[in-house]
Amino acid sequence: MQRNFPRHLDTLTPLYEFAEEIMEARDIAEGIRFPVHLAMEELFVNMVKYNPDVSTDIQVDVTLKVNQEVRVSLIDDGGVEFDVTATRRVDIDAPLEDRIPGGLGIHLIQNLVDTLEYEYQDGRGEVIFTKGSGKEDV
Amino acid sequence: MFDIEHGNDGTVLCRGRLDAAQCEKAEGFLAGLEGANTLDFADLEYISSAGLGILLKTQKRLVADGAGLKIINVNNHIRDVFRYSGFHTIFDIRAKE
Repeated sequence: MQRNFPRHLDTLTPLYEFAEEIMEARDIAEGIRFPVHLAMEELFVNMVKYNPDVSTDIQVDVTLKVNQEVRVSLIDDGGVEFDVTATRRVDIDAPLEDRIPGGLGIHLIQNLVDTLEYEYQDGRGEVIFTKGSGKEDV
Repeated sequence: MFDIEHGNDGTVLCRGRLDAAQCEKAEGFLAGLEGANTLDFADLEYISSAGLGILLKTQKRLVADGAGLKIINVNNHIRDVFRYSGFHTIFDIRAKE
């Protein structure tokens, strides 16, 4: 199921409700729903945050496949290129005094979803992730 | 929806979903804390990296003053987010019983 969402943080609740309604209807396990919501939020917020001058909606597509697998696509038309699959160093063992707030979103996505793909062409970026195809649930 | 308030015993009760849209509310409340504090997550369903950032900022401030946060009644999903973020080494975290 596909829907367009306005590019601002007030959209996070409607985005959550959209995905939750789809997953709840098919009785998707909470251990899959939680990381799906988290990955969706992190990706959506990045698209909003890094493209302050873009006004186009963000297109979100949630598809349920067999065996409780959830596939989510977010399309950002007009945003800057931002490869969410690139490795970023996050030192999760650093002591408190060396920690800096921020930078954990992509790290969490990469750890919580099963597959993560990114494509960017002619100003159009698309992120596709899946959850529930076999990786340990949280 | 997200709510944060002091409980009768002084603990800080967090409820709902702490996403990026709710961080201003959380940060405004937590900025007023001083000394040792306990956050009760019994009714907190969800937290994203934006919420983690607020917790980290608060913890750094309180620990610098010789105190800190204890977080109790953490559900399994949030506990795993803490684990993937390495927060279990910098916070006193107690799982939901």
